[in-house]
Amino acid sequence: MGQDNQTVVILGANGTMGPPSGAVFAGAGFKVVMLARDMDKAHQALEGAQNAARAEAVAERITLGTYEHDLARAVGEATMVFESLAEDLALKKKFFEQVDRCRRDDCVVASGSSGLSIAAMAEGRSDSFRRHFLGVHLFNPPNVIVGAEVIPNPDTDPAVMRAVVKMMRERLGRKVIVTRDRPAFVGNRIGFKVLNEAAQLAAEHGVAFIDYVAGPQTGRAMPPLQTIDLVGWDVHRAIVDNVYAQVEDEAHSAFHLPDFMARGIAEGRLGDKTPKTGGFYRRPDKRTVEVLDPASGSYQPFEAPRRVEFVERMKQFNRVGRYADAFAVFADATGPEADIARRLILGYVSYALNRVGEVAESAEDVDTIMSFGFNWAPPCAIIDLLGARKAVELFKRHGLVVPPVVEKAAANGGKLFHGGALQYGRTFVG
Amino acid sequence: MPKPAPVYILGGAQTDFARNWTKEGKHFVGPMREVVLAALEATKIEPREVESAHVGNFAAELYAHQGHLGAFFLEIDPTFRGLPTSRHEAACASGSIAILAASAEIEAGRYDLECVVGVEQMKTVDSTTGGDYLGTAAWYERESKGIDFPFPKLFGRLGDEYDKRYGLKDEHLARISAINYANAKRNPNAQTRTWFMSESQAQRESKFNQVIGGRIKVSDCSQVTDGAAALFLASEKFAAQWAKRNGKKLEDVPRILGWGHRTAPLEFDVKVEESRENPYVLPHTRQAILDAFRRAGISGVEQLQAIETHDCFTTSEYMAIDHFGITRPGESWKAIEEGLIEMGGRIPINPSGGLIGAGHPVGCTGVRQMLDCFKQVSGTAGDYQVEGAKMCAMLNIGGSGTTSCSFVVGR
Repeated sequence: MGQDNQTVVILGANGTMGPPSGAVFAGAGFKVVMLARDMDKAHQALEGAQNAARAEAVAERITLGTYEHDLARAVGEATMVFESLAEDLALKKKFFEQVDRCRRDDCVVASGSSGLSIAAMAEGRSDSFRRHFLGVHLFNPPNVIVGAEVIPNPDTDPAVMRAVVKMMRERLGRKVIVTRDRPAFVGNRIGFKVLNEAAQLAAEHGVAFIDYVAGPQTGRAMPPLQTIDLVGWDVHRAIVDNVYAQVEDEAHSAFHLPDFMARGIAEGRLGDKTPKTGGFYRRPDKRTVEVLDPASGSYQPFEAPRRVEFVERMKQFNRVGRYADAFAVFADATGPEADIARRLILGYVSYALNRVGEVAESAEDVDTIMSFGFNWAPPCAIIDLLGARKAVELFKRHGLVVPPVVEKAAANGGKLFHGGALQYGRTFVG
Repeated sequence: MPKPAPVYILGGAQTDFARNWTKEGKHFVGPMREVVLAALEATKIEPREVESAHVGNFAAELYAHQGHLGAFFLEIDPTFRGLPTSRHEAACASGSIAILAASAEIEAGRYDLECVVGVEQMKTVDSTTGGDYLGTAAWYERESKGIDFPFPKLFGRLGDEYDKRYGLKDEHLARISAINYANAKRNPNAQTRTWFMSESQAQRESKFNQVIGGRIKVSDCSQVTDGAAALFLASEKFAAQWAKRNGKKLEDVPRILGWGHRTAPLEFDVKVEESRENPYVLPHTRQAILDAFRRAGISGVEQLQAIETHDCFTTSEYMAIDHFGITRPGESWKAIEEGLIEMGGRIPINPSGGLIGAGHPVGCTGVRQMLDCFKQVSGTAGDYQVEGAKMCAMLNIGGSGTTSCSFVVGR
């Protein structure tokens, strides 16, 4: 997978991920075949790829086609097939059966699923298919966000894994981690635990308040509930329901979709993609922002929450690059607001680093995917900023699991994060 | 004249040029602090060892409504209380002027260890306002006032002047753009590392590649960038003990081998008029390069393995190719067609991606260029390393070829 002009076939080219993924592969020098149900949809995919690349000339490396007319021939010539279909196991399996029949023996097949079982997708396929099949989870939008997860199925050939990881690092410019085939993999498992817990807390404390105390000053580009609106409530639900149904861990209840969200989804409230019905926020016109009252399902004009001293001080410290000072304030702040913020943020760090050995290979991998897949502060950086001993004390005080890597760091001293403020500073907003 | 005392480069750091400090809610002192602390860590230098600090910055008064940037160095570490600090400005060459001031102090024996910081925050304003601010690097009243994006237009005219004297094909400019974007893909701090660009995209005017002024399209332009870079420069006395404690040989520590610094009249028309009879379109820029070569004791570009040049626009890199002496005057296109300036070519230009690919935080650029030259000659440039680089040169230009600074860096 090292040379220009090798062909990547994208299935589901007109979905959310298809067009920008096409732009990424084309930008790396691949020839890309974008396949969709009909030619109108394929042309939409091309337009989406050009918009993502902000370049008309990306079209020179892209050809279009339909499943009916072009799949067999295109897959037969492909170096790699990248599946970007809807998150529907049966649908994916149907396509993989077709791909299995017409692929070359050395063609790599990658599913872009954000959390379905890679092993289940490979069931019933030929030996050759299974050896060349893996998950390649890109984050949305992949032309901007470079974090990526690669997930083997039990039969994936290690040489194929190595080649794909190398190609993604060197040619696609991805920050790649290899994860185990567990629901939602690493990034979404950790990220959506935090987002869903924020949604649960919003039922009690209000939307604007949660987005304020757990806002960008705690190490994220965007407040958590705004993030759910951007992702879409339906996508959020699919991810947390999948984990809730299949995983028993220390934070199982945090994956339970709040009832007000289930009701909202039934009424067509999906976040930013349904501007009329809204999400946590609704913008009836350009100047007005309304905020959801989770209990009643009605909207009120947005009012900035009462300023809380520790939040404002954290922002001031972040603004001038004094991140350790910001976290000293965070650790020592008193009052119910600080307890809620610590429950969410320390809960994030505890849950994230406790996944090491279960779904993630290392704390460094967790840092990589949260930093480059979510634009969130890497958990190890937060530990370093707090000091490992202080972090252990805080975890215990808030009834959170102390991850073994943190326990070890507290005992031995030394830093956990590989790098410094140049790497994580961007995630702490002032 | 006796040979001046040597100036050693101990290392440094730069911020990720893809960042947007406004979106991060940052004052520029935040990333400035990050980059100096990272440079200290990278070089294993203690804050108490720093004796003087120089900050290069173009227009914080406009972009961030803040002057007196030297004093911000003290916000980085309490140990810096009392240090002599200063700020230096010469438009896009501000970073080089800061380097020159620091190295002059070392040559004069005033101090043994100096920190040079380049910093510019540009994403605080919309592109038209930013273009107007950049217009103050020209003679504003005569060349910029009331003109949208004056600088692309000025550097478009540099291309026109080449066209008039020697002939110029825009396809060669498109190739320069594509090479810089391609190089940037290997630089983990480059602003455009995830962007798409190809020679054919750069050749055509289109919705995504609009004309900004004259023959300059979006693809010919450097970027609007928030960025900071820091370097440590040292006397032989400090460098020797620093090398010893880090298990290095002094002769392996890179040095500033030569420098050139020349100023041409501000107005572009005057420059061009005065160079009418000269084979070089910007003779003062040529002279700055020759001065750097002479002080470095080298005969010419054939002794270099790489160049970091000031490609604020593709036309300025086109100019740099013949002004460095890679080709005869007016024949820069030959070096482009023969692939000499690409990675793997005889003299790669901008392995980092340059101002077009890596980004152009105006007052930081000179410091970033020297950091990249340092990385090349110390073999630490990672994926954009030029194999076997021992000596590199840089060219940093302020205004429309007005202030030209060139350095040769090597071991």
